[in-house]
Amino acid sequence: MASSDDNTEFMIDMLRECGLAHKTIIFVLEEFDLFAQGKQRLLYSLLDAMQSLTSQAIVIGVSCRLDADQLLEKRVRSRFSHRKLIFLPSSVDSLQRLMEHLLMLPEDSHLPTKYVMEYNARVTSIFSDKKFKGILNSLTDSDATTSHILRFLFRVVSYMDMDSGLLSMQSFMNALSSMRRQPKMDSLQDLSILELYILVCMHRLEDKEHSSYNFTTIMKEYKSVQDAYRTSDNYSHTVCFRAFEHLLDRELISFADKKGKALEYRPVKLLISSHELAQSLKLNTTCPAVLQKLLDRERYM
Amino acid sequence: MSPATPSTVRRSLRLLETPTKVPSETPVKPRPTPKRKRAAPSPKTPIQPEPKRQRRQPKKRAYYRKVVYDGGEFAAGDDVYVKRREGAESDADESEEEMCRVCFRSGVTVMVECDVCLGGFHLRCVRPPLRCVPEGEWACPYCTAERAGKAIERPKPPEGKRIMRTAKEKLLSSDLWAARIESLWREPDGIFWAKVRWYIIPEETAAGRQPHNLRRELYRTNDLGVIEMETILRHCYVMSPNEFKDANDDGDDVFYCEYEYDINWHNFKRLADIDDEPETKEDPSDEPYNAGNEYDSDTDEDSEYDEEEEQTKCSSAGKNQAHELAANLWKGRIYGLQKIGIRKIPEHVRCHQKTELEKAKATLLLATLPKSLPCRDKEMEEISAFVKDAICNDQCLGRCLYIHGVPGTGKTMSVLAVMRRLRSELESGNLRPYCFIEINGLKLASPENIYKAIYEQLSGHRVGWKKALHFLTEHFLGGTKVGKQANKPIILLIDELDLLLTRNQSVLYNILDWPTRPNSNLVVIGIANTMDLPEKLLPRISSRMGIQRLCFGPYNYRQLQEIITSRLKGIPAFEEQAIEFASRKVAAMSGDARRALEICRRAAEFADYRIKQSGHTSMNRGKNVVSMGDIEAAIQEVFLAPHIQVMKNCPKFGKIILVAMVHELYKSGLGEVTIDKLAATVISWCHANRELLPGYDTLLKICCKLGESKIILCEEGTKHKLQKLQLNYPSNDRNYLINISPDS
Repeated sequence: MASSDDNTEFMIDMLRECGLAHKTIIFVLEEFDLFAQGKQRLLYSLLDAMQSLTSQAIVIGVSCRLDADQLLEKRVRSRFSHRKLIFLPSSVDSLQRLMEHLLMLPEDSHLPTKYVMEYNARVTSIFSDKKFKGILNSLTDSDATTSHILRFLFRVVSYMDMDSGLLSMQSFMNALSSMRRQPKMDSLQDLSILELYILVCMHRLEDKEHSSYNFTTIMKEYKSVQDAYRTSDNYSHTVCFRAFEHLLDRELISFADKKGKALEYRPVKLLISSHELAQSLKLNTTCPAVLQKLLDRERYM
Repeated sequence: MSPATPSTVRRSLRLLETPTKVPSETPVKPRPTPKRKRAAPSPKTPIQPEPKRQRRQPKKRAYYRKVVYDGGEFAAGDDVYVKRREGAESDADESEEEMCRVCFRSGVTVMVECDVCLGGFHLRCVRPPLRCVPEGEWACPYCTAERAGKAIERPKPPEGKRIMRTAKEKLLSSDLWAARIESLWREPDGIFWAKVRWYIIPEETAAGRQPHNLRRELYRTNDLGVIEMETILRHCYVMSPNEFKDANDDGDDVFYCEYEYDINWHNFKRLADIDDEPETKEDPSDEPYNAGNEYDSDTDEDSEYDEEEEQTKCSSAGKNQAHELAANLWKGRIYGLQKIGIRKIPEHVRCHQKTELEKAKATLLLATLPKSLPCRDKEMEEISAFVKDAICNDQCLGRCLYIHGVPGTGKTMSVLAVMRRLRSELESGNLRPYCFIEINGLKLASPENIYKAIYEQLSGHRVGWKKALHFLTEHFLGGTKVGKQANKPIILLIDELDLLLTRNQSVLYNILDWPTRPNSNLVVIGIANTMDLPEKLLPRISSRMGIQRLCFGPYNYRQLQEIITSRLKGIPAFEEQAIEFASRKVAAMSGDARRALEICRRAAEFADYRIKQSGHTSMNRGKNVVSMGDIEAAIQEVFLAPHIQVMKNCPKFGKIILVAMVHELYKSGLGEVTIDKLAATVISWCHANRELLPGYDTLLKICCKLGESKIILCEEGTKHKLQKLQLNYPSNDRNYLINISPDS
C-alpha cells in the first residue's frame, strides 16, 4: 500500500530511532549485484541513510561477481565505502586441516571410546598417506572451494565400510571417482546402436561443413551409410525418428532455433564434441566396428 | 535540567496557569478531589521559583509511565485535551454528552452524527426517522436543505436551556488544545508535569482549512511543550486513518490525524507507520525509574529537548550555531525513544572513554555533520545571493538555478547549509518568510510522483499525481492558490534532477516552466551530476534551465586537506603528511570528499588495530597516530583490483583454461572462443605435459565457475559445446598469469 517513498522515509525514521537507542542494524544484501540493476533506488536510499544521519547501521553486500562495485552508479559508488573483502579459495594445507577437523570424532562423544580411538587413528593414518595427498591435489585442481570439499567428504562418509564403521582409503578413492563423473559420457555409454548411428551421422554432416541440417538430412546420410555398408542396423523411418526424439530428450542434441516448422525440418545441432563421441564408441563393447570406422574414416576424408 | 526551564516559563505564561496546587498523594492513587472545580483564582503569575528549585535538586525528578491524576489515568502516549486559557469559558457549561439538536435532551438512545455540522440527532428525532445508523456519510435534513440552497430554520433550544458545547466543539473552535503526552514526571516540589506534543486544527496551519480536511481532522506538530498536569482536562482519542475507520461509536472525543505539520517550514509530512505499532516492546518495569535509569532517560530527554528547543523556539536570539545545525538536519522530527521502547543505553557505551583515534574515526564519519564547511564559501555565497535576490524583492520573480558537479563535492550539503543560514536570518526578521521544499529525485517512485510530493508538502493532502499537477498548475499560473501562503515564495530543491527525465520530458518542462510565470513565486534549485544536462534536454527546457548555473568542481588536494584537517581539529591523531598524502591521492583520482574521508577513517582503523596488536597504548605518543603507512594500506585496499588476486588463487585447471583462452584468442584474433576449441587445446596441453586429463564436463563446470565471478564472460552452460567465452579483463593481466602458471 505504501509507496517506496513512504517506505524509505519509514526506514530512515526507524534507523534514526535505533541509532538513538544504540541498537545496530545490519542489512545483508545477498546476490548484491542483482540490486545494482535499474536505477538502484534501494542501494541509493540505504547508503544515503548510512551517511546522512547518525544511524547505527551496516550494509553488507554479498556477491560472487568480482566487478560488483563497478556496477554501481556514480552517485551510489561515491556513497559506497569501498571496503572489499575477497574470499579466496583456501590453500591445500588449510583444506587438509579443515578435513581433519570435520572427519575426526570428538573425544567426549557418547560413542564408545574404543571405537573413537580406532576411528581417529585410522583417519590420521589416511591423512598421512601419500595417496591421500594425490586425491586432495586432484580434487583441488578442478575446484578448491569449501562447498566442493564438503560434498566430497559427504560422499566419503557415504562410502564408509558399514561392518567396521571405519573409513578406508578405498572410500576416499570411490568418492573421488564419483566426484569425477562425466554425465555426458555416462549418458553416451548407454545409448542404443541406432542412436549412436544418428550421432555419428550428425558428426559426419558437421565435418562435411553442412552448417545447418535437420532430421531429413540426417536420414539421407543414414540411408547412404546403410547402402554403402549393408549393416543389419537398417531401421525404418519411424523407429529412427523415435531414437532422434530420445536424443533430444537427453540433450545430446538440440534444435538450433526455438520456433516454427515440423520437427523433421527443424535444424538441429550436436551438443557433444567429437572427442567425447570417439571415446564413448571406444568404450562401448557392443558398438559395431563399422561405426568406429565411419567416425575414424571421415576424419581422413 | 536547565534547558527545560525557559520553555516551561514560556508555555506557562501562555497558559496563564498557576502552580498553586500541589498534589501530595503518591501518583498511583486516585485523587478524590471533585472534578473541575479547581479554577485557580490567581492569574498571570509566571512561575518564578521553578528554576531555582530545579537547580537545587537537579536529580530528584521522578518519571512515571502512568499517573492517576484528578480522577483520570494518564499515560505517556495518551491524547488529552488541554485548557487553553483560564476562565474565558466557564468550566461548568461543558457537557460530556452531546444533546440532540431536535429535542435537546441527551439520552441513552442511539444518536447519529451529521457529517457536515457535527450535530447529534436521535434516530427517532430525525424526519423521516431512521431505523438504524446509516452506512457511509450522512447529513442531517437541515444541512441537506442548506446545501440545496433552501433556507430552513433549525429548531431552537427551549427557554432556559442553552446548547452546551462539548469539548470537541471547543477544540475545533480553538478554545481548547489537544496534545499527546510524551512523558510525565513529578518535580521535587510535588507538582506533576508533562511534556506534550501539540496537535493543531487545520485553521491554525499556514495553509488554513482546506476543502479536503475532515471536520474532525487534526494535525500533529513537531512542537513540544512542557505543561502542568493541572491544565489537562481529560482524554481524547486521536486516531490514524485506519483506526478512525473502525472507530464507529467510540464517543465524541475521537479525532482523525494523518499528517504531521512542520511549524517551521510550514509543510506537511505523512505520519510514518511507526505510530501504529503497539508499544509492546516497552520494558516491563512499571514503577518509577531507579536512580541509574533515571539518569539515562534524563540525558536522553534533555539532548532531545535541546534540539527541539533550538528548533522550535527560534525567536530567542543568541543561539549556539552548531546546535542548530545538528537539529536542523532532522528537520525537527523527533519521535523519542518511547517509540521503540528502549530506554536503557548499554553501560559499556556510556562509560567508554574514547581514545584519540576513536574520536578521529567518529568525526571522519560521513554522517557527522562538520561544524564548518570549508572550501565552498564562494559557491555558498552565490547560492545565498541567488535565493535572497529571488525572495527579497517584493515581487518575487521566479528563478531557476542548476547546480552540477561530480559526486562527493558537497552540492546538497552546501545548499542545505545556505538554507539553514537563511532561516536564521528569517528569524531575525531580515527576510521575507518563505516555504522550503526538498525533494530527492531518486527517492520518488516515478518522475510524475514529484507533483504529488510537492503538493503534499504544500497542502498536507495526498492526491493522485494528475490531480496534484492540476492544482499546482493552477497555483503557479495565478489561479486559485493552494493554502493561505499564497504570496509566500516557495523554494524547491530537487536533488538528482536527471532522474526526472521522462521520454517527452514533460515533468521537467512543467517544473521549470512554473518559475517563468508571473506571480508564481517559485524558485527552483536543481542538483545533478552531469554538466551538460541542460544541453541534453529539449531546447525549450534548456532555455529555461540553463541560464544560471553553478559548477562544483572536484576538490583539489589542498581543499581536501583543509576539509580533513578542519574535521580533525583538536584531535592529534593524524600525521600532517599522512593527510596530505591521502588528499593528493584522492584528488588525483576523483576529488571526491567522501572517498577521502573514508580512506582516512580506514587508515585510522588500521592504526588502531596496529596499536592494539603491539599491546601498549599511550606510552609513546609519536606512535599512536595515523602514519603514511596506514594511509597507504587503506588506499591499497580501496583502489586494489581484486581480479589478479583471484586469478592467482584459481585452481590449477582454472589457470590452465585462462592461459589456453589467451592463447586461442591470440591465435584466432577474435574476441571469443567456443568451449569446444578451448577444451581441445587444454586436453592436448595436458596430454603433452602428462597431466591427468580432465573431462569435458569438468572443464565446462570450471568455465561456468569462472563466469560466475565474471573473470570471463560466458553463456549459460546448457549450450554445452557451443558455449562461447570471452575475457573480461585486459589480457596483459593474464600474461602475467602465464608467468606464474606451473605448466606450459
